Amino acid sequence: MKFTINRSAFIKELNNVQRAISSKTTIPILTGLKLDVASDAITLTGSDADISIETTIPAVDDNNTLVVEAEGSIVLPARFFSEIVKKLPEDTMTVNVEDGFQTQITSGAASFTINGLDPENYPHLPEIDTTNTVTLAGDVFKELIGQTVIAVSTQESRPILTGVHFILKDGEFLAVATDSHRLSQRKIKLPEANNADYDVIIPGKSLTELSRMIGDNNPDVQMRLSENQVLFVLGNTSFYSRLLEGNYPDTSRLIPKESSTTVEIEAPALSAAIERASLLSHESRNNVVRFSVNPSDKTVTIFGNSPDVGEVTEQLQPAELTGDELEISFNPDYMKEALRSFGQAMIRISFTMALRPFTLVPTEDGENFIQLITPVRTF
Amino acid sequence: MAQSIIEAPIKVDASRKIIHVDMDAFYASIEEREQPAYKTQPLVVAHDPRTTGGRGVVTTANYVARQYGVHSAMPAAKALELCPKAVFKTPNFPLYREVSAQIHRIFHEYTDKIEPIAFDEAYLDVTTNKKQIHSAVQLAHQLQREIWEQTHLTCSTGISYNKFIAKLASDYRKPAGVTIVLPQDAEPFLWREPIEKFRGVGKKTVPKMHELGIKTGWDLYQQSELKLIQNFGKLGYILYRRVRGSDDRPVEYLRQRKSIGKERTFGPFLTSTEEVNDHLREIARLVAASMTSHQRHGKTLVLKLRYGDFVTITKRRTFGEFLPNDALVYYRYASEIFDAVVDDHLDSGVRLLGITLTGLAPLTFENLTLPLYPNEN
Repeated sequence: MKFTINRSAFIKELNNVQRAISSKTTIPILTGLKLDVASDAITLTGSDADISIETTIPAVDDNNTLVVEAEGSIVLPARFFSEIVKKLPEDTMTVNVEDGFQTQITSGAASFTINGLDPENYPHLPEIDTTNTVTLAGDVFKELIGQTVIAVSTQESRPILTGVHFILKDGEFLAVATDSHRLSQRKIKLPEANNADYDVIIPGKSLTELSRMIGDNNPDVQMRLSENQVLFVLGNTSFYSRLLEGNYPDTSRLIPKESSTTVEIEAPALSAAIERASLLSHESRNNVVRFSVNPSDKTVTIFGNSPDVGEVTEQLQPAELTGDELEISFNPDYMKEALRSFGQAMIRISFTMALRPFTLVPTEDGENFIQLITPVRTF
Repeated sequence: MAQSIIEAPIKVDASRKIIHVDMDAFYASIEEREQPAYKTQPLVVAHDPRTTGGRGVVTTANYVARQYGVHSAMPAAKALELCPKAVFKTPNFPLYREVSAQIHRIFHEYTDKIEPIAFDEAYLDVTTNKKQIHSAVQLAHQLQREIWEQTHLTCSTGISYNKFIAKLASDYRKPAGVTIVLPQDAEPFLWREPIEKFRGVGKKTVPKMHELGIKTGWDLYQQSELKLIQNFGKLGYILYRRVRGSDDRPVEYLRQRKSIGKERTFGPFLTSTEEVNDHLREIARLVAASMTSHQRHGKTLVLKLRYGDFVTITKRRTFGEFLPNDALVYYRYASEIFDAVVDDHLDSGVRLLGITLTGLAPLTFENLTLPLYPNEN
């Protein structure tokens, strides 16, 4: 196996594949990066058993200046290999597998020889057929991930809640996540995917890594399913993730249909005020902020305190305020993360009662995106 | 004399009335009460070292046993050596706890400012008290009498204006003594005390004190603050103040317990993961109930595991948020930790399992939970 390639083109793909490679893995060979060299392309593979990433660098793309002299495969220690490649002196580099699995990496006057591993021992990535393919706009999908993944549980006590539940039905793509204290739901219309029918739970960690790879270069993301894996194809890169097994709770019934108090306010303004109140609530053992809605003077008052440090109050003038007076307490961190997911938008917060969950939606489009937060009961 | 660059002023607040109540040979006295024949025999509350292969420590010895040099915290085997005819009585903690609660109910008739140190020891701040008794000495006598009438147990009390002196005073006359140290007598009283009696001066510090010629409170009083700090660090700073009668620590009646947990020992030992999980589920249930009854929640879960060969593992996991007081949550984490730590020792069986929650805070708030699984609970 021997090839020469443009170093920066190689590094770009190497960085993507490395997202899947962990130094802490129970399967030793997975600390390695797999290189498969064919006559017209090289393929890089990394995996941590939960996520696998495979990317192809084709020879036809002149920017790659890929020249293959001998086909073959090797597994190289990912951390060393990547550090070496990034420090090589010239624009191009040559990788050459010599006797056994010894691999020589040269660039200009620098030459490394490192010990590789037998590629036959590297696990095979699953075959996922293309019949069940759905195409998603990269920017929309990235936004959807960012909006839902915040509500994924970080506690392993209920593993199923560490994932985002995706349902594709009747041309509508729905994503929901909840850690039981908050819930985030986003819908996308996918009229062209009318025939596909999905119901899967994808680990939040996989989605976070995936969203980092969706950029301007990948206008479209293709999603394919097998029984226990999902594959996302972004250009020349394939991103595999395991699915979470089990039944996701029915969340549709959790979203309140009615409200008795609504507040419309700019997300960034509220976010900044919550941020200030949480300066003190974070110092307290109970991280709680109190939110009072006063219909009489159309104001909202935010209150935070720490018995040791002091207290903060701030009065806000929302754009709209209707309904009953209300006082509710919640974890400001949940609120901040929810607000961030609305960007610069104007939002509507709908409350029913002090001890009932409340919802946040963009005023522009209350149908397709909703954040739900459960309040805190104080004694 | 070397002067330290900064000096914190020493404040002596003599306005409080604090009583330290110390039950006399508490566990042994309870056993004597239950079994009066023990009164004339040397009684050691500990597992009999002859049946445990020499393990165990003395929790309490009665006054007869003490004449043989037996004292608490001594290895039970040593106690047997000193007093071969001693009666060894296995501790009955549920009973002691019950008696302790009974005594606490009596305390509460006088004040709610109670800081329990152990089952048998507590500080009471009676500066103001529910019975409007002005004289702390009178109050102490009345308290002692009431404890005697209700429990047939004696205690010794120390009265002073701070906790440090009150504790020294309760030890001054035992059993059934009342000792008051008035503010004007505090320094002479402290000067006469041997250095070993000063709290914080333990086995490691005593030789160093003696080396510096400090054998009594008076010797300590003669030392400069800087020298004490140089030799004993923070303890030196504290002792410099204590021996001048200064101790502003309040009676921490709101002090929270640091952990809540339950353990179980098994005979025969558990030998399978399934059995272990069954018991973890049960222990988790008890812990969750206890957490709820104490109105606490915690951030850290500790699993304790002891194999048949006495190899003991404790492993903790700390979470960012308080864990819900939910047996299922405790069980799942405990079981996960068990899976992560269990090893070949399982062949020798599991003799003990425990789940403890620490990092506790009062359950003054609860983040409500969505009813994701309506059929649970």
